[in-house]
Amino acid sequence: MSRDLCRKAGYTYSFLSDPRAEVIRRYDLLHQGAGVNGQDIARPAEFLLDSSGVIRWVNLTEDYRVRARPEQIMEAAKALR
Amino acid sequence: MNERQWNWQLWAGFLLCLLGFASYPFVFAKFPITRDVPWANFLLFAVGGVLFFLGLRRAFGQQQQYRGKIAGPILGTLSLLAAGSFCFIVFYMTKQLPASTGAPRVGQKAPEFVLPDTNRNPVSLDSLLSRPLSSTQAPPKGVLLVFYRGYW
Repeated sequence: MSRDLCRKAGYTYSFLSDPRAEVIRRYDLLHQGAGVNGQDIARPAEFLLDSSGVIRWVNLTEDYRVRARPEQIMEAAKALR
Repeated sequence: MNERQWNWQLWAGFLLCLLGFASYPFVFAKFPITRDVPWANFLLFAVGGVLFFLGLRRAFGQQQQYRGKIAGPILGTLSLLAAGSFCFIVFYMTKQLPASTGAPRVGQKAPEFVLPDTNRNPVSLDSLLSRPLSSTQAPPKGVLLVFYRGYW
């Protein structure tokens, strides 16, 4: 399903799948039972890493309707030069 | 016998309140400017509420001229339910998130991982950090990891 979405929308970035929520847990982002059918999902979060893999910017939203806007991320990305 | 008029304000107010609720997921949630603070929906509820109140006033204040003494309270309850549940959702429900105190912080190295992409090829964080998008480009200056709720 994600593959069709990516193709139709023309996304060039990697869309990864974490079906057992392993990485979600590793990053402590698990939101138990919050999925549509009661599945465990991730709470929304964005991490900006520099080229050595160190985290330079984190957005752990307090309201899952409110996500980081592209402009905010681009602003944070400028510091990565 | 006098034909009492249809109390359109009552119904218009009610419909605006319904719209105030339903338009969020289908329309206004698609744009950050109306999603983050749902002012467009608050506006719909406000206008709907005023119209409804005017209609209610007509139904009970001008009973000879307008209908709505039965429809009014029923529609009013439904409108309040719509407004109430909307406020409950946007002021409370969507903020119920786990603390995630163990999430990696600024200055820490992001935990390594390997996950399948949409073509079932394994992709590691290490490869994302080191491999350029195309052969002519330099390695990336950084990587943005976006975790979302699975469907949006």
